[in-house]
Amino acid sequence: MSTPYYTPTDKVPLPPRNAEVLTTACDYCIVACGYKVYRWPLGQEGGHEAAKNAFGKDFPVATLQEWIAPNQHNIVMHKGRQHHVVILPDKQTKFVNLYGDSSVRGGTIAQKCYNPATPTKDRLKTPLIRIYDTLMPVTWDMALDVAAEVGKHVIAKHGANAYSVKTFSYQYIENTYAITKYARRHINTAAFTWHDTPSDVTSTPGFRDAGFDNFGAAYKDWADAEVLMICGTDPYETKSILFTQHIKPAIEAGQKVIMLNPRETAGVAFAKKMGGIHIDLYPGTDNLVVNAMARIIVENGWEDSEWIKKWVNNKWETDSGFGQGTRNTPWQWRTTWGKFESKGFEDWKKWVMAQPEYELEYAARLSGVDPAKIRKAAEWLSKPVNGKRPKTSIGIEKGFYWSNNTGNTEAIGALAIITGTGGRPGQMVARFGGHQRGGTGGGKYPRNKSPEKRPGRRRRALDTDRWLYSDHTRFSHVIGTTWLQSMCGSQGLQKKFHELVTANPHQIRSFDKAEIIETLKKRADSGGMVVINQDIYLVDPIGAKFADIVFPAATWGEEDFVRANGERRLRLYSKFYDAPGEAKPDWWIISRLAQRMGFDGFDWENSNDVFEESCRFSRGNRKDYNMIKVDARAKGITAHERLRQFGTDGIQGPVFRVNGELVGTTRLHDTQKELPETGPMGANMFNKKLTHFNSQTGKNNIMKSPWSLFSDFWEWLSPKGDELWVTNGRINEIWQSGFDDVERRPYITQRWPENYCEIHPDDARRRGIKSGDRVMVYSERVAEQKETILGVKGDDFQFSSLMDRGQIELSKGAVTAIAMVTPAIKKGVLFMNFLDKRQPSNAIQARVVDQISGNYNYKMGVGKIVRLGGSAYQRDQHSFSFAPRNIV
Amino acid sequence: MKKTESEGKATVKQSGCALSRRKFLFYSGTALTTSTVLLQIPGVLKAREAHVATYPRKLIGKMSQLKLDQPVNFNYPDDGLNATSVLVKLGQKAGGGVGKQQDVVAFNTICTHQGGPLLGSYNKEYKTLGQCPFHLTTYDLTRYGIIVSGQAYQSLPQVLLEVKGDSIYAVGVMGLIFGRNNNLIG
Repeated sequence: MSTPYYTPTDKVPLPPRNAEVLTTACDYCIVACGYKVYRWPLGQEGGHEAAKNAFGKDFPVATLQEWIAPNQHNIVMHKGRQHHVVILPDKQTKFVNLYGDSSVRGGTIAQKCYNPATPTKDRLKTPLIRIYDTLMPVTWDMALDVAAEVGKHVIAKHGANAYSVKTFSYQYIENTYAITKYARRHINTAAFTWHDTPSDVTSTPGFRDAGFDNFGAAYKDWADAEVLMICGTDPYETKSILFTQHIKPAIEAGQKVIMLNPRETAGVAFAKKMGGIHIDLYPGTDNLVVNAMARIIVENGWEDSEWIKKWVNNKWETDSGFGQGTRNTPWQWRTTWGKFESKGFEDWKKWVMAQPEYELEYAARLSGVDPAKIRKAAEWLSKPVNGKRPKTSIGIEKGFYWSNNTGNTEAIGALAIITGTGGRPGQMVARFGGHQRGGTGGGKYPRNKSPEKRPGRRRRALDTDRWLYSDHTRFSHVIGTTWLQSMCGSQGLQKKFHELVTANPHQIRSFDKAEIIETLKKRADSGGMVVINQDIYLVDPIGAKFADIVFPAATWGEEDFVRANGERRLRLYSKFYDAPGEAKPDWWIISRLAQRMGFDGFDWENSNDVFEESCRFSRGNRKDYNMIKVDARAKGITAHERLRQFGTDGIQGPVFRVNGELVGTTRLHDTQKELPETGPMGANMFNKKLTHFNSQTGKNNIMKSPWSLFSDFWEWLSPKGDELWVTNGRINEIWQSGFDDVERRPYITQRWPENYCEIHPDDARRRGIKSGDRVMVYSERVAEQKETILGVKGDDFQFSSLMDRGQIELSKGAVTAIAMVTPAIKKGVLFMNFLDKRQPSNAIQARVVDQISGNYNYKMGVGKIVRLGGSAYQRDQHSFSFAPRNIV
Repeated sequence: MKKTESEGKATVKQSGCALSRRKFLFYSGTALTTSTVLLQIPGVLKAREAHVATYPRKLIGKMSQLKLDQPVNFNYPDDGLNATSVLVKLGQKAGGGVGKQQDVVAFNTICTHQGGPLLGSYNKEYKTLGQCPFHLTTYDLTRYGIIVSGQAYQSLPQVLLEVKGDSIYAVGVMGLIFGRNNNLIG
């Protein structure tokens, strides 16, 4: 842990001419900027003359040249010897971070490396078992033996669904492949999910229904659009280089930007300054605003009729389904009741015109947005100018799809379709992305084993939070996530963990392996829960308070890994230093555990083995990389080595091999792309999504997006009395979930020493709150959904129905923060950093899943705020800043 | 500032006592109106000594001529690349501020992200520099140049100030100036 006092320095060592250079990409946001690592042994240093340093430049260097900030240097262990490393954005890269740009997060990534002289000194270095209430270092053999024996017992006695796996979805292909092979194929548990959702479901149901891939667009498309609508994010704050190198230059060249966001941060402020429209809406009202825009467009006949005629399914085409069978398919259960499915464009148009809530005045009133702005945005999106249609693109992210998950994503899909967005260069609709794309499935999720069922016949992926809450989870295997703080109503969940783990009488009081195993078996058998945790640091509380066994993981820079970014660009992330102590990559931990569990197919020797095995499972996916292996084999090298040859430029999936050369794919759903008439040759595979949409016919489904499925929840939640909306999100300077930067990078800690709460000046004045005051944000009605239930009647999962039947429990939640009074947040709304582990704002957010998809609507909370007193930050001027984030 | 006057490297004699410039900086109190940047951080005094050892002492302005919210340009620690700096009276107490109100501060004006120019971007309402025209970083001059929002890898380098009578001297820099591997090689 670092203190909030960063020590500035006025010198930095330069790499000598003979420094080794390795390529990698940033470990953090979706953009994955390309980086170079310069490595050389301690005891040498380059000189400031061009001939004496690795850059071949005379220092000082001019603007935009390779410069080393002190935070870009570190000292690491490489093959047992201390080495300098300097980690810089690659000035020579041809894609992504053009001109070697970087964010503050990636820019300081050298500080991520383990160095016992820095706040990284508390990296996990050995396996631990909690004996006599203390986590004690043990051997890998002992920790793995205990975990495997208890795991086997739980599965045999309580069933596979009692073994719950909660894991990151993104931390490198080799690891996710191993984890999903283990959990979904071999354990075969339905109690499996990712770090950011209680159940293994799609993040954007509306995209899936319409036939849009989440990451079909290329970064070039965001730049080439004439009109860009950005929903639920400020890309400057959360995927900075996408904004600074692709969107900002486009805005400067005349691109019109529309931003839906209750906050005004630097990117929003810049766009506004350049003439953009800021739709400053209340949380959860996007569906109304988007459909009001859609209605204005069709009222005026501004829709792209030609496109719609060619690319939208009619009733029969939609009904032909997705070829997945009629039951147990997400698309089917979503459409069973006819609430989403339309009979084509005219039917959808009739529907949108018939809904009174999409009248402009109504939508404007509920969203708190000036109706003139909504009208103008609709015009920009789709009104032909001098007979020419605008080239429109639409990007969404979590502020949008985590506030009315199904309703918002269905609505934006339809808006995209009518504006002719989705299948042409500069006219794309996609997610911008959060984490990088590092998932490859090593096994299929066993949905049929999930006891959770929507009304009708439709099973839904199991909600692991409610499953645990209702005492069914006996063994929690948690990999690289906080679980608790990152879910909603997190304090109630923590209380349950305490009850199942800490308060259970069966605690390890022995150093004997057999006795330890027996104790943990008894814990599980008595209705309690055993917790194992794989991570790079001991995270509080999942590791620090609850884990019985901790496995130390090796991470970025400590192993060769592969991952893709938000435009499906695959890169090799080079190993460049030794992992601390006995830390091992997650694929290794899983493989050794799996072998002890008696599973076959886990005898990999290195990460390349895992990657090569995963290749064929990527076939047909958006980042299909199978041909990298095929090409590598032809060249007699490993797939990792083949990808390494692409350096920071990487290659965009799906990857094909044409005449012995590897060729990437710029965008998916590219209706203008021509595939070779010969079809896919050799092992190449052409998926429909290359040139068509993800539906049976290859055309889009235009979907209805009824507000009524969400409106009862929204109305119940809406602030009453002294309450305000409480929403949350990412902060530019902190890598979103803060898994190692905010706590262990002194400069970042100095900027953000603790969680904060943005409050509008009018709201603050009424409560006597000033910037820098310590405040308590609390809620007396955090809605928490209790049980795993079977839906029988049509509206059984509707919020008001759950309420009537006692399925919703109201609890309290409270979190402290430092107040930041700023006009940059909408009046009536509070904003906090979404995942400060010490002050988790998710404690306030309703733990009620989107009734259709099963996702949480993390951005939806309500609470009160009270001043507790002043804080040291008002006197000590070293940390924090209370200047607003929208200065232009 | 019409003219700046350089007094060359600070020496024991110039500080008028038996302490070296470095020690003078670190051990003199606010009564001598030396910049208090370092002294406010408990427990890190010793670690800082090495960082501000041999900077030139340069006259950069007169207290009596400074006007509220009107930045004055100067070069420091030399006239080389990326040395452009501003001296500004903020009108409110600032980290490292000198003068009676501790509101006079000076900063290098080259963005510590990619070297963008911040001259002319002073915001008097919020006492900030930026947005940088390159990548939109903003810096808070009341808080040692910390980033308000943006992509820079560190705070804006703060020029340490010392006041003698009406004269304001630049005597050191906190933080590495963009483009340099050592502040004193310019």
